Amino acid sequence: MPKPVPEPSRRPLIAVGLGGIAAAGLIGAAAWKLWRRAEPADPGKAAERGLRAGAAILSLAVLLDSGIEHYRGEFKNPAMFVAPTLALATLGMTAVEDEAAPYVFSAALAVGAAGVGFHSYNIGKRAGGFDMLNLFYAAPLGAPAALSLAGLFGLAAEHPGIAAPARIAPVAALALLGTAAEAGLLHFRGAFQNPFMFAPVTLPPLAAAVTAASSVSPEAAQVARPLLLGTALLGIAGPIFHSYGIHRNMGGWHNWSQMILQGPPLPAPPAFLGIALAALGLLPALERRG
Amino acid sequence: MFDAIDQPRAQDGRAPDVFRPGAWVQMRCYDDSEQVDFAIVGTGAGGGTLAAKLAEAGFSVVAFDAGPFWRPLEDFASDEAAQGDLYWTDERISGGADPIQLGSNNSGRGVGGSTVHYTMIALRWRPDWFKSRSKLGYGRDWPLSFEELEPYYEEAEESLKISGPVRYPWGKRRKRYPYREHPVNASGLVLARGCERIGIDWSPLPLATLSAPRGMAHPCVYRGFCKYGCSTNAKQSVLVTFVPRAIAAGAEIRDLAMVGRIEMGKDGRATGVSYNRRGKWRQQKARHVVVAGYAIETPRLLLNSACPEFPDGLANDNGLVGTHLMTHSGPGVWGVLDEEIRSYKAPPCMAGTEHWNYSDEGKDFHGGYAFMSQGPLPTDWAQTLAARGLWGAALRQEMTRYNHTAGLVLVGETEPQAHNRVELADEKDQYGLRIPRVTFSYSENDRRLIEHGRKSMHQVLAAGGAHQLWDTHDTSHLMGGCRMGDDPKDSVVDADGRTWAIPNLWVCDGSLFPNSGGVNPSLTIQALACRIGDRIAEMAKRGELDR
Amino acid sequence: MSGFKTPYPDYDVLKKWDTPSWNEQTRAVIKRRLDEIPERRFLSEDEWTLLEAIAARLMPQPEREAPVPIVPWIDEKLAEDRRPGYRYVGMPPMREAWRQGLAGIAGEARERHGTDFRDLEPDAQDALLGAVQRGEIDGRQWGDLPADRFFSELLLKEIVAVYYSHPAAWSEIGFGGPASPRGYVRLGLDERDPWEAEEQHV
Repeated sequence: MPKPVPEPSRRPLIAVGLGGIAAAGLIGAAAWKLWRRAEPADPGKAAERGLRAGAAILSLAVLLDSGIEHYRGEFKNPAMFVAPTLALATLGMTAVEDEAAPYVFSAALAVGAAGVGFHSYNIGKRAGGFDMLNLFYAAPLGAPAALSLAGLFGLAAEHPGIAAPARIAPVAALALLGTAAEAGLLHFRGAFQNPFMFAPVTLPPLAAAVTAASSVSPEAAQVARPLLLGTALLGIAGPIFHSYGIHRNMGGWHNWSQMILQGPPLPAPPAFLGIALAALGLLPALERRG
Repeated sequence: MFDAIDQPRAQDGRAPDVFRPGAWVQMRCYDDSEQVDFAIVGTGAGGGTLAAKLAEAGFSVVAFDAGPFWRPLEDFASDEAAQGDLYWTDERISGGADPIQLGSNNSGRGVGGSTVHYTMIALRWRPDWFKSRSKLGYGRDWPLSFEELEPYYEEAEESLKISGPVRYPWGKRRKRYPYREHPVNASGLVLARGCERIGIDWSPLPLATLSAPRGMAHPCVYRGFCKYGCSTNAKQSVLVTFVPRAIAAGAEIRDLAMVGRIEMGKDGRATGVSYNRRGKWRQQKARHVVVAGYAIETPRLLLNSACPEFPDGLANDNGLVGTHLMTHSGPGVWGVLDEEIRSYKAPPCMAGTEHWNYSDEGKDFHGGYAFMSQGPLPTDWAQTLAARGLWGAALRQEMTRYNHTAGLVLVGETEPQAHNRVELADEKDQYGLRIPRVTFSYSENDRRLIEHGRKSMHQVLAAGGAHQLWDTHDTSHLMGGCRMGDDPKDSVVDADGRTWAIPNLWVCDGSLFPNSGGVNPSLTIQALACRIGDRIAEMAKRGELDR
Repeated sequence: MSGFKTPYPDYDVLKKWDTPSWNEQTRAVIKRRLDEIPERRFLSEDEWTLLEAIAARLMPQPEREAPVPIVPWIDEKLAEDRRPGYRYVGMPPMREAWRQGLAGIAGEARERHGTDFRDLEPDAQDALLGAVQRGEIDGRQWGDLPADRFFSELLLKEIVAVYYSHPAAWSEIGFGGPASPRGYVRLGLDERDPWEAEEQHV
């Protein structure tokens, strides 16, 4: 083991981190209170509400994230308009009752999958191919899947018969793992320079495991709730941390035109919130199965 | 920026806080008459690094730099012309069959030395080069093995939070770099494309500029002015790494303090240094003196310190001080691409290949070379075109293709030759000190290496999509002049940087190098400095320091 | 030189003055470069106008009503004796080299054409400068100064450095210019940030 070397300068990272968590906690607690107050008694309705909310947040995250990232990519390919446009449509469908909804959600499902294909094609043709350089900096491999997920959650909310909570729970678990993997890759790129960067690679995978188990075990469903709440909290804390990250980069928010693109991505962490909300909605149904 | 040149900033118990505009840090200050453990001449890759190591080991240290103590966040303009004060521009005479361009090309002046404006490439020596004579049949062996220096490479990389690729294709299997690689800019991608098409490895280069935040230092914003001072502190120069550490550990940094002479006692030991600060000559007493002025100023100071006991200069009984000076040959190949390159963006050298450092197949010469992608800024580029012979309307029109130009420049090993050397000229500088005369000529082997490198670069650049290729010639880096060795007869210092002739006189910089390798030297200098620091502390513990 | 074309006719790097691409210290430096053109201090009146004539050939700017000033900055450098940090064996120190070099070119013109360099036709001036660049000179005019080295190491190098230090020159080549605190995001091939020059394809 090499000796630790003295650091030439320090920042109060722990204090900043705890402050961020505390702020997220306040926001999260208030939101959770409202959410609980309006919780439907019927587990099926609760699931529908959770999935719809999850789909809405994921759509919003995809709208902003793909909008910003494709703007960085100068919308060189007209296909780059598809993701943000569809995310906007999906977001709309989660808010209003419309008979076009199933088509929009299905389209989101398909386009998300195609996006993964596009992005891998893009990586593959670059110098270096699927090396770490391109995984770090080229089109993100997993990101388009969030659009598929929004579509899937939207569809599931509309067809509770086909998409029973026990079937959706493993999907949500997988989604959490995927999102944690993406956060892990990008935080690895950031050398985990702040210890709080480990949060999204530890808590969500744990929540994912227990959520998956919930589809067969009502006991697991009870354990899942606090873990999913924690994951949801990360989805709120993330943008707070990331906006601090922009602030502490060169030029801070004054340099927003660069840092909104180069700094830590503001709209990425809410994906955790979206998935966690969907999964939380499934829990009442899963708890009762026993 | 200008007050830093006129007035010392590090004095009266404080030094500039490089991380906070306008702020200061406390600094321990020593009296001239107070005998400190170490007086270090120079605060660059060698001296600045060693100052931190020694202060952290508990020694009292005063480190001198002839130049200013910059505040990068406040002083550094985004401008080539305005940043000329980063270089050593005192007069030097350059001769030989292939005279080296000095000045901005390979020198620094100011706390942090040339690491304040270097391109931050942080590569290790090929392990075999430490034993190039016995293993590869050319050059000279170091009195050290790669294995002995390896932990110190790691320490230096950790200290600079080197941002490097997860998998570096060459060299001994290594621990992962502390920070991740940066995205590669267009000029780097041209190299990458070319290498892949001709079937050789390339890699994003490990760089001493942050790809993620570190303490108060910002990550790189890819502004591209690296060679003119980093205004963000992303560059992990000695000025923002080892120097703050040194000061925190109790060392004094004395800026605008030009050391002109090492003072000797009758017992044949150094007693301190004479230095000029604010126009006055003063003397600092020290138990040990370390010279870390780089490959020209270090031999110059030893030669300028001649005294009755050492009439030919200090540690020069065998006449080797100043000899075996090496540079890296730097032929360049440039071309025009259909795509926009805009190589003013991001650090100038982001991708490179060490293929010909590690593969000796088919070479008609000894030694190795690497080459890297380039990112010249406008005046630098205009001067490159001027050196190609262009002027007038032709030059001005050619300059409009700036954004479509990419190029590669070699870091080519040169052989240590006795007649390539630093001597004293009769002319004197503003301090009344004799100025250095530098003589350099390539060997036949050097020329074959250059030719081979040129062909390789042509191949890669053409395969990378460039057309209308043309050549330049330049050099980079300096090494040697006070080489280390196992034998007092044919070296100036031992493996610890201690001069054979004077037990309390040390050298710690690039002049120690017995050979020049085919990569940028700064990381190896810093690894050596880390090792020398540890060795001195060990020797002190065992009571061997004051022999 | 009427044929000079820039691919960036609409780009003016100075428009970024108040953006995050420029910081205070850079604005101070460039403001001085634009507004505070140094007065003559080192060169004689005669040397100054000769150097102006030479600079007009080495860095012609016929399309500009107010050409980028070059000679004042070289004069300032000479007045302050700001040297490059080395000189090649056989070259005198910087100031003497400039004096000798300018005298060499003046002498060369008189010797060849029997007239002042400034009064020569542009073509003749170019031909003469080309000869100096190649070292094809009349040794008597130059003393011990290597004319070709003076031409490439000092004369041309300084003139182009001064010209390409000017924002007008940055604009015409599409250089991003000052960049701090804001640097660049889009680094790849054919990638351009909105705050960079857009190339006009003709």
